[in-house]
Amino acid sequence: MFNGRILAGISVAVALAIGSAQAKTIRIAEHRQARIDALKTVVPDIEKKYNVHIEVVEYPAPEKDYLTKLLTELRAGNAPDIFTAPHGQDVADMAAAGYLAPLTAELKAWDGYAQSVDAAKAMATGKDGQMYVLPAMLNVQQIYYRRDILEKAGISTAQPKTWAELLDRAKEIKAKTGAYGLLFPAGVTWGGGSFTEGFRLLIVGTSTPQIANDDGTLNLTSPGIKDAFGFYADLINNDLMPIQPLLEPEPWVLPKYQMFPAGKLVATTSGSWCYIYDWGPESKNPIPNVTEVVGSWEVPGKQGGQYVLVDLESPWAVNSKSPDVGLAKKVMLELGSVKADVAYAQNLGNIPGRTDAAADPDFQKLKPLVPILAALKNGTGTYLKTAEGFSAVAEGVARATEAQLRKKTDAAGAQKILVDYVKEVVGDEAVK
Amino acid sequence: MTYHQRTARQLQLLLLPCVLLVGALVVYPALYSIYLSLTNASLVGVAATHPRFVGTRNYVRLFADGGFWNSLAVTFWFVLGSAVIGQFVLGLAAAVLLRRPLRFKHLINSIILLPNAVPEVVAGFIWISMLAGGDHATLNRLLGALGIPPVRWLQDFPLAMIIVVNTWRGIASAMILMTAGLSAVPGEIREAARIDGASPRQVFRFITLPLIMPTIFLYMLVSTVTTISIFGFIYALTRGGPGNATEIIGIYIYNQSFTAFQLGYGSAVAVVTLILSLAIGLVYVRALKVEV
Repeated sequence: MFNGRILAGISVAVALAIGSAQAKTIRIAEHRQARIDALKTVVPDIEKKYNVHIEVVEYPAPEKDYLTKLLTELRAGNAPDIFTAPHGQDVADMAAAGYLAPLTAELKAWDGYAQSVDAAKAMATGKDGQMYVLPAMLNVQQIYYRRDILEKAGISTAQPKTWAELLDRAKEIKAKTGAYGLLFPAGVTWGGGSFTEGFRLLIVGTSTPQIANDDGTLNLTSPGIKDAFGFYADLINNDLMPIQPLLEPEPWVLPKYQMFPAGKLVATTSGSWCYIYDWGPESKNPIPNVTEVVGSWEVPGKQGGQYVLVDLESPWAVNSKSPDVGLAKKVMLELGSVKADVAYAQNLGNIPGRTDAAADPDFQKLKPLVPILAALKNGTGTYLKTAEGFSAVAEGVARATEAQLRKKTDAAGAQKILVDYVKEVVGDEAVK
Repeated sequence: MTYHQRTARQLQLLLLPCVLLVGALVVYPALYSIYLSLTNASLVGVAATHPRFVGTRNYVRLFADGGFWNSLAVTFWFVLGSAVIGQFVLGLAAAVLLRRPLRFKHLINSIILLPNAVPEVVAGFIWISMLAGGDHATLNRLLGALGIPPVRWLQDFPLAMIIVVNTWRGIASAMILMTAGLSAVPGEIREAARIDGASPRQVFRFITLPLIMPTIFLYMLVSTVTTISIFGFIYALTRGGPGNATEIIGIYIYNQSFTAFQLGYGSAVAVVTLILSLAIGLVYVRALKVEV
């Protein structure tokens, strides 16, 4: 009897000792193989530093499906400890739902904060002054064009100064080469990209360059919104943009990966990744001497001005319901290290959100990205302020431009589709 | 306890696991959906964590929502075209033909059954490669070999295409049920009709068809209800587009709940769909006096 009690006591003590020595587990959600590969390069160091076990939870690749699964789990209370919001536009909606743990104090005390690009810090700060995400990577977009084709056809490669000049250039391309002159992503199947890679680039150059009002409402009835849809209408009605592929299930494949390399599409919006992945050495369909053959224009404004669009690229966030929010925050800050940023830049072609990454030897090997980070450091980059309801705006733009692609509506009708949709989703009072 | 009471208790115990599962996985979610449909619950924003009771507002909105009525119309044509006409007619034809001595009978049987082995989403992706626009898609390449220009199948004939795909997927189920029904028809009755001078067509029309009617209506009941709830392959193939040309009710519920993130409104649509499915089921079971 006595021996049995001693044995039981020893067993309990051993079990407790083993339990306390076991590392805690932090679950990180990640999607797309390239992102998962980048994450896995930094996981061992973090595990060692904090004596923590990191479980990388793989999510569906398409961002729409990733966000849906993530939001469902967040609402159910069983989401991973750390995850990314697919775009900057999703952060305000997720924060308002209470899914994101506030990070302001931790970010401001973090040694990487001083190195962060100013635009990144500004975009990561909500209207309540709180920061809910780590702006580790940036998405930098402008217009890319086939310099070789323009020069051969005797078409100017000079920066277009206004929308009218850009459209005239696209018409000249069509007339002289027969190729499509310009692509702005549109339609429902392109998902959030119709907003982030298309509409967003236009709205900043209008007379009403921001959608989010200071009072948290959304300015969707402005003339700028109608003008942006009008730009799409010009592209569509003049047959300057390939429409049919945009209505297909994977709308980016044909125009970006086949038509542009083949010279059947001469200009398109794209991001910093294109020189490496879409048409560069990592592409399945590379363009030889891509950095010489493909040039870039900043996006002109309607009446003037030039814009390079910056957005948060999948910023990291901590689940407010994580069992150990403190540890999750520490782990998350490691995902903003130079090593992590460079790993993601290498795998995705996006730009690190911190300026000291520029000195990293591995980043310097990514030659097309180096001048973009340098420009961001010097203050280049325009961004849209976001607000609650931006997820609905992105979906509304996709639906409105889809109606335009199918020639079911004009610019005013597209604006009405957007306004009606957003009002339906977030309420009449949220739209002005 | 009498023998009958004991037997009744045993039957109740045998049913208990099934009742518990149906209660947990069907009845409870349905009741929870009714609750959600009376709130402004959302996946994002303040309503995600603090949903408000909004009474019947979602239902009032639903009946004035053109998108909802469009999805009902699309669902009607989809069910009629694929389940009621496509799968049933081809399934019955296959069952009748395969009861006869045929060369390569087993091969034909396997070919008809094969689509059932393909997961729904995989089937969607297979058909994307078949039906995509431009001259890269499989079907357009085949047409191109015949000198026919490429067709934008999913853009110009989206509803017809999802009807074709669902028919392709469902013929096997229809064929299996119809084969079972045909097997239950006594051979002597057909033989007697033939001796009385009935033609093969008359035997089928006046003997076989009436005798397999219960099987046909059972099939109609099952296939109508399951076709209304189809989601996977249409989501993979068109996501309800272009526009909302293929937005059947299941896709509409998903789009409202998980694309627009309006769980309350999506639940209201789901509740109305549930009521419609129950009504259709009752029509089949009661009006046609079929014992199920």
